[in-house]
Amino acid sequence: MPKLLLVEDNEMNRDMLSRRLEKRGYTLVLAIDGGQGVAMAKSELPDLILMDMSLPVMDGWEATQLVKADPATKGIPVIALTAHAMESDRQKALDAGCDDFDTKPVELARLLIKIEELLKKFPPKA
Amino acid sequence: MKSLPFRWQLILFILLTCGVTLSLAFAGFYLYDVRQFNSEVQSRLEKTQSLMIENLVPLLEQNPKATDLQLKSLGVDAQIAAAAVYSSEGKILSRYVRAGVTEVIPPLPRITRFLDISDRGVLWTPISSGARSFGTLYLKAELSDADRGRLVNLLRGSAIVFFVSALLAAAMAWRFQGRITAPITELARVSTSVQRTRDYNARVQTTASGEIGELIDSFNAMLDTIQSNTSELERARVAAEDAHEKITQAHDQLEEANRTLEARVDDRTRLLAKAVKDAEEASKAKSSFLAKMSHELRTPLNAIIGYSEIMREDAADDGETARAEDLDKVLNAARHLLGLINDVLDISKIEAGKMELYLETFDLPKLITEVIATAAPLVSKKGNTLAIDCPADIGSMHADATKLRQMLLNLLSNASKFSEKGTVTLKAVRLIEEEADYMELSVVDTGIGMTPEQLTRLFQAFSQADASTTSKYGGTGLGLAISKQFAQMMQGDITVTSTPGVGSTFTIRMPAKVLSTQPKVVNQASHKLTRSPFSSQNRPKILVIDDDKDIRSVIAEVLSMSGYDVVEAASGQQGLDHVSRFTPNLILLDVLMPGIDGWTVLTKFQDNPKLADVPIIVLCAAGEVEMAIALGAANVLLKPVDASRLTAEIATQLSPLPKCYVLHVEDDADSRNLITRHLEREGWHSRSAINGKTALRMLRQRMPSMIVLDLKMPGMSGMEFLEELTQNPTWAKIPVVVVTSMDITQEMRNILTSRTLDILRKGQFTREQLTAIMRPAVEACALAQA
Repeated sequence: MPKLLLVEDNEMNRDMLSRRLEKRGYTLVLAIDGGQGVAMAKSELPDLILMDMSLPVMDGWEATQLVKADPATKGIPVIALTAHAMESDRQKALDAGCDDFDTKPVELARLLIKIEELLKKFPPKA
Repeated sequence: MKSLPFRWQLILFILLTCGVTLSLAFAGFYLYDVRQFNSEVQSRLEKTQSLMIENLVPLLEQNPKATDLQLKSLGVDAQIAAAAVYSSEGKILSRYVRAGVTEVIPPLPRITRFLDISDRGVLWTPISSGARSFGTLYLKAELSDADRGRLVNLLRGSAIVFFVSALLAAAMAWRFQGRITAPITELARVSTSVQRTRDYNARVQTTASGEIGELIDSFNAMLDTIQSNTSELERARVAAEDAHEKITQAHDQLEEANRTLEARVDDRTRLLAKAVKDAEEASKAKSSFLAKMSHELRTPLNAIIGYSEIMREDAADDGETARAEDLDKVLNAARHLLGLINDVLDISKIEAGKMELYLETFDLPKLITEVIATAAPLVSKKGNTLAIDCPADIGSMHADATKLRQMLLNLLSNASKFSEKGTVTLKAVRLIEEEADYMELSVVDTGIGMTPEQLTRLFQAFSQADASTTSKYGGTGLGLAISKQFAQMMQGDITVTSTPGVGSTFTIRMPAKVLSTQPKVVNQASHKLTRSPFSSQNRPKILVIDDDKDIRSVIAEVLSMSGYDVVEAASGQQGLDHVSRFTPNLILLDVLMPGIDGWTVLTKFQDNPKLADVPIIVLCAAGEVEMAIALGAANVLLKPVDASRLTAEIATQLSPLPKCYVLHVEDDADSRNLITRHLEREGWHSRSAINGKTALRMLRQRMPSMIVLDLKMPGMSGMEFLEELTQNPTWAKIPVVVVTSMDITQEMRNILTSRTLDILRKGQFTREQLTAIMRPAVEACALAQA
């Protein structure tokens, strides 16, 4: 089963999204800020990262840049989760190296399509 | 001589004349007397001579050598001083010298012996008888004492006559000179005094006649003239001084008034600048509050939605259908709430000018498919059928796909809300014109449709066709306003046509390729421009104030082509400077400027009495229209500047008002267009004013047949405008009909019913109703004009 890293500081969002994704058969690992996200990307080597952009300590853009700069993790696809309709944030996310983006609040059906598409594009090694 | 007074000059002159005359007379008389005397003496001497010759001849005939001749007895008289008788040989025969006289007898001169020439008083006479000569007689006469006395007396008498005459002449000169000199002296005295004292009342008093009299009369007449001229001059001077004083006073008053006015203008400007700043800050605070609140609201709402979804999924999995349905209702309500919050956030972003475009190239049919997938459940809810009319080869678009999706969803959702068991069609057409490539996306429904009145308020934020709609159909009414703004941001627009009971068609028209940077001035092709309503000799002057050099030069070129003279100002201050030097016929003002901002300039212009009749067209952003209307702009144009609309608007503003026009005072553009269309269909002339201030300016130009008045306007309200009308006796008689969406209090109704023909509620009257109310007034005016 594909392993997903969810980087999200809001506890309820983290809880909801992880539970709903687990229910659909994904293995979830969780991080609550950018620094922890970068560390866990390296240690856990997930198949895909869901990265919230507005994070404490280190924000999502910086974390994504670090993930994409590290040869060990740069192959992991990242979906940016941005606040509603901030087009400039969206562009910033793509510039930081994100492979796709979705807006919060998450519309699960749409997010699942995006996750599946990316997993097909970057198939899990194991 | 010259320094002597005239009288002395005259006396001297008389005396001199007399002296010369008398001296000549005296000399004449004296010389004549002396001459008489001399000739008498001569004749007497000659007599003595001939007597002596007579006596001597017989004596010498007897003895030519006789030497004892007694000359004394020979006739010598008292005047003879010496006498002698010479012989023919020259020998003195006899001699006589009067006693007491020293005389030398001269020898006989050789020459005079033969010549009868002698000195005065001396006679040499030959003594002869017949041919015989006896010698020569010498006689020398000398004045006797008696003669001497006679001559002295003569001299004395003449001198006495001379002096007495001179004295008499002097006395008479003294006595009579006064008659001549007195008037002249008086004349001289008076003229000197006039010259010294400048008292032109003085006159020369005289009884003199003749030339001097005439001279004095002329002098007096001259003084009369001078006096009357001087008094006239004095009166003029006094009048001039009075006038000068009054001018000075008026000038002082004017300066004072100016100072007061300036102070008041400054005060008002300061207050206004503060109000503007406050309003801007409040607006910013509102936007940021809304953005923050939306975020704060969304976070718990996300949790509600998320957990409800988890619970619903669980319930469905567990076969608890009833619970799953309840949770669906919670979810729908929460999603609806989220939609509303998103709308509010969108509109606040648009108003704050913070809405951004994310332009990307996408395939239009693919986007339409996505939209249909989302909208299908909504459409089918009320038994409506969804039809799609989109050519497969319509191609791709370059635009903000998210916003276009949102717009289409909004239109489809509206269409399905207001239709039941009908058809909702989504139609896409690509229009390729000579210089434009447009996409037209229409949503056609077979729903309840709308009246033209309802259409006018359709795109306004927070308003639906009417208040009852919200309760029946739900929604904030923000969706269409947002969609329209999105379309305009992408250089397009949304238009609507509708027939009540038949259905509505909403059309999004957008460029197939939206440009990221909009041109600053559009529609500047010359065939799209409206020419000046005046002849080419009479080009109205337009002051263009804009800090953007490109816009300014393009506008200047466009206006110049359209028949206007343009004066450019690169800042608010420059604009103010220009206006202090000349009065333009119209001002075009960009309010977004550094330095003195456009609002301050606009306020200063409004406070300048010189510009009371000069229309000011304001260029601004969509969110600033209300401010521009409130501050008295004649009209408002949005950026980018549409040259075609600009020239049309300028021509309208400068054209003379038609006879019997209907004046429509209304701040809302859609309501204005609706009423204008109504009036046009009746064939009535009408002119719109976007605020009370502009309406008053038009009233000053020409009286309308009647006024259609909105009550709720920024700046001067409809009630305030009515108050202005009442203040003016002529305007108070103009018929007024009120068309408003405002809730009217009883107090307002009392005022309005006494002053107006009728009060109509927006969206709740027909064209026929409106024109029936207006017809009598419009026709009465036409009749009066005929």
